[in-house]
Formats: sequence, C-alpha cells, structure tokens
Amino acid sequence: MPHTLILAYGNPLRGDDGIGPEAGERLRSIIQGPDVEIRTMHQLTPELMEPISRAARVIFIDACEGSVPGEISERGIEPSTAGMRFTHHATAEALLAGARALYGRAAEATMLTVAGAEFSLGSGLSPAVAHSLDGVVAAAMRLLDR
Amino acid sequence: MPRQTIVIDPVTRIEGHSKISIHLDEEGNVEEAYFHVTQFRGFEKFCEGRPFSEMPSLMARICGICPVSHLIASAKACDAILAVRIPPNAVRLRRILNLAQILQSHALSFFYLSSPDLLLGMDSDPAKRNIFGVMESHPGVARDGIRLRQFGQQIIERLAGKRIHPSWVVPGGVNEPLGAAHRDRILEELPEAVGIAQRTLDWFKVEMEKFREEIRSFANFPTMFMGLAGADGALDHYDGKLRFVNAAGQIVADGIEPADYAAHIAEMAHPWTYLKTSFYKPLGYPEGIYRVGPLARLNICDTVDTPLAAQEWAEFRELDRGPALSSFYFHYARLIELLYALEKMGQLLNAPDVLDTHVRARASANNSEGVGVSEAPRGTLIHHYKVDRDGLITWANLIIATGHNNAAMNRGVLQVARHFIHGNKLNEGLLNRVEAVIRAFDPCLSCSTHADGRLALEVELLSHDGEVLDRCLTP
Repeated sequence: MPHTLILAYGNPLRGDDGIGPEAGERLRSIIQGPDVEIRTMHQLTPELMEPISRAARVIFIDACEGSVPGEISERGIEPSTAGMRFTHHATAEALLAGARALYGRAAEATMLTVAGAEFSLGSGLSPAVAHSLDGVVAAAMRLLDR
Repeated sequence: MPRQTIVIDPVTRIEGHSKISIHLDEEGNVEEAYFHVTQFRGFEKFCEGRPFSEMPSLMARICGICPVSHLIASAKACDAILAVRIPPNAVRLRRILNLAQILQSHALSFFYLSSPDLLLGMDSDPAKRNIFGVMESHPGVARDGIRLRQFGQQIIERLAGKRIHPSWVVPGGVNEPLGAAHRDRILEELPEAVGIAQRTLDWFKVEMEKFREEIRSFANFPTMFMGLAGADGALDHYDGKLRFVNAAGQIVADGIEPADYAAHIAEMAHPWTYLKTSFYKPLGYPEGIYRVGPLARLNICDTVDTPLAAQEWAEFRELDRGPALSSFYFHYARLIELLYALEKMGQLLNAPDVLDTHVRARASANNSEGVGVSEAPRGTLIHHYKVDRDGLITWANLIIATGHNNAAMNRGVLQVARHFIHGNKLNEGLLNRVEAVIRAFDPCLSCSTHADGRLALEVELLSHDGEVLDRCLTP
C-alpha cells in the first residue's frame, strides 16, 4: 500500500545530531494510522533501500552544519551515488539510487535539515536547535498534508 | 637505492581506523610490514567503579556492528559473578540472538565490504569498487546481501527490541521471553534466507578459482587456530571449551575452561600499534601465534550439527590435508557459517520450550570474579571482570578477536607485500591486495582498541633513514 516513510536519523549522543531522532519520536506521538511509517536510527544503511522502494514518498530528517543554528531547510532530493564510497552508512541520495537500481523504483523524497550548533560528545540539544524542534515537526506535518 | 617505506593510510572497508607501512630494503624488496591501529578508547579503564550489572549495556557500546557479541560475553561474565545457572530457555534465546548477530555481521563483511573485490576485481576502478559498483554490475548479489543483513537485524530486533545496542540480555538470562508471533515470523522467513546462503556458496566456490594467487599469498602460512568447541567437538558459538589446533590439525590443548583462559593466552603490546597481540602462552611469541574467527572455528571443530552446513563443512575440510591455512578462506568459512547460523536458528526456534517464560535467574554478586567467553563473528571474545564487595568493577580485561588475529594479520600483510610489491612504485591494485588481506580477517578495530570507528588507511613508502618517498591515501 502506498505510504509515506519518515526516516529521522542522527546520533543522540552527539549533541544536536540528535534532532532527527527527537523529531521522529515527536512525530510518532502525533501521527496515528498505517499511512505513515516512522523510523528513527543513528545513520542511514543500505537495508533501507527496500522499504524506500515500497514507499510512495520519503521524508528524511537530519541535522546539518550551518551558519545559523536552528535554521530549518527543506529541499527535494534525487537519486545519486556521486562521491559515495559506502562501507557502513550511506547518503539519502545514494539510498534512493540503490532503491531504483535494485528494486525498480525510488520514492519521491524530501530532506528536512536543522542546522546544529554543537556536535561534540554529550546528549541534549543546544537551545537554538531545541527551539527548532516544533518547527521541523510542523514542516514534516505540512509535507504530509500536501 | 636507499631503504624505503610504503604507507597505506587509511585502510578502507574495515571496521575502524588503521594504516599499513611497508619497509623496503636497498634493493627495493619488501623487508618488513606493519599493520598499525591508530585509535584508542580504553573501555577497560573507564568501566572501573561501575556496578557489574551495568556492564552488558556499557560493553555493548564498544561496537555498533557487533554489540550483541559484547552483550553476550559480558552477560556471561556477570552470570559467573552471580554464580547462577541461567534458565535453559534463556540460553536458547541468547544463542539465537548470537547467531542472528553473526548472520548480519558476516553478511556485512562478505557482501558490503569484500564482494567488490571479488566481483569487480582487485584491480578494478577504485571509484566503483564498492557496494554501489556491485549494485550496478551484480544487482542480484547486492539484493541478496542486503536481504541477509536485514533478516539478521530483524531477528535481533524481534528478540531484543532494537537492532543496535539492545539491553535484552542481562546478567542471569534475558529480560523478556520470545512471543509466538515473532517466532512464527522468523521461521516463515528462514527458508528464503537459507536459499540465499546456499546460492551464494555455490557461486563463491566457483568464483574462488579466479583467486588462486590470492589464496596462495593471503596470510597463507602455518599457525595454530583457536576457538570454542561445543559438545562432541561440534561447531559452537555460545558455549563450550577452548581448543587450540596446530597447523597440522593436531589438537595442542583442549577442554580449556573459559575461566582458565589466562593460563593459556597471554597478551603483549607493540610500540607501533594500539592493538595488543595475543599468543599461546606455553609457546611464547612469536611461536604461539594463532588465528580465530570463522576459518579457525571450521578448522578446530570435529563436526557441524546442522545438515546443510555439515555438507559444506565436509567439502571445506577437503581443501587441505589439515586445516585450511590461507586466510582468503575466511570468506568461504564465513559463508558456511551464514548457512549454519540460519539452520541452527531454525532448530532452536522449533524447540518445544522456546516460548517458555522462565528466562531469568536473579541473585546478588556471589563471586568476586567472572569470565565470559563466546564466539563473536570475528572470533573468540573474552570478558573478564573483578568486583568488590558492593559489586563495583575493580578490574576488567577484554580480549577481542582482532587482538587474537593481530600477529597473523601483520604476518599476512608482509606476505602479500612481498608477493605483490617490488620496487618503489605504488600501484593501486597491489595496494588493494594489501588491504584485502586485512579485510579477509574482518578486523574490528573499534572492538579491539575500543576506539571511535572511523574508517581509514594510508600506505607510506619510507627510505631507510625515514624519509617519506611516496604516500597513498585510499580514496
């Protein structure tokens, strides 16, 4: 059945890198029903190619480096293996490319990122990124409503 | 010509950060080679003062690839501190979890890390010599690899709640029984996975013919082998006694209680690596070099108690009169163990008591010391703890598979370098073979030094007076 797959990823023990899983858990508490599947994880791995190929749409949620901590960005992404030397983890674009190459289709995909301020060892989000949690969750909800 | 050194930094498609240096003599011949592990974390030290009951969860953090292996060895060490006999079904469930871990880790090693060399060629374009290159050229193999790893991870998740760093295995057993729905789902999916393992083995046995030179030169020398041998000498990854077998296939030491490991295994440090080297104590170093892992396990066991893997093992044992000595055969052994893990999980899941809810024994610390030994994907894993009266850790020692294999890996790098490198010009395909011999062992440097898990390898070519003449960074 066509559905939306939300892949929210990052390492909660590396400060603001945890915004992805945090947003994923928040969405899980809000969204009910079988049309949206939410997965949280530390990093993207090739095993995700198969579920990506089955989804109608994929929303990736990740932290990124940026000059304005807490800034939320949204962009459509396309399949690509450019620059990939995969061993243990992969980029969202590479997973889309793998899904298409191995399973015949890649879902329409959007990347939501939140610029982090602090990625050193330690749990908890910096104030600016914590403040953006509601915003990135709202952005994901808007995408689901489209 | 002055003496020179080649450095490969970082070593790629392995678990962790390392480099290789190859030293040439005045004639440009390889004189010495070293596998340097350049990372350090020191888990043994910072766990001091923690309650022993926390150790399984703490130790699982050593590695993101094989957390389950550390969880199990650690829990077994804690069982010994509790001095309890854990419920039979807890043993069964831990065994299934350990086999699922071996399945997913072996699939990662073979399909994701090594299959690019095997399918695309050691000399192929390094920009494409990765899993994405395999997806383009051999999509069926790539799909099979992904499916096997996914299946192993799903079993871990179904048993333990999550794929990475689960906390389900605890001192005294496991904290939840297995539900019927999960059991049935795993059993339903097993035949597909067995089919993948069988066709991969069929393909690889033919493919091996193309790698005769690598078989001859990839850490192919006499050493001892060590591993756990179960009841009747059967292949076993959870329990049993330690056994050492020499290069001629003769048993050197057998029936060693895991708690007595220190009487047989010693460790030493080298100035050029953070990875300690283990050796067989009675013979000393370097005479006491041994190997562990899939190759060792299939070399030391007397039997394999699942039907399909038993047939494959019998064929494997025909490779040589005694143990298979080439480390290239680690790949072959890994595939046989994949098949075994799947069959064995089927046997365990079909046991009448597998849904038994009595899965944990409870006690306080009754011993001041405990040793836990299990077979991790890469080889024998030893956790040894001492506690004070309050059950706080006062001392810990971990001996990891990659440490057992350290001496053999170094000797293997030297052998490959001598075979393939002549003169001071570096060739990427030749350097890849130097890396590939390390890859065959599937070392986990995060586990063995407990360091952060970046991937890397550098090869340096140094003159006899230390000048760097050439350097190659893997892309």
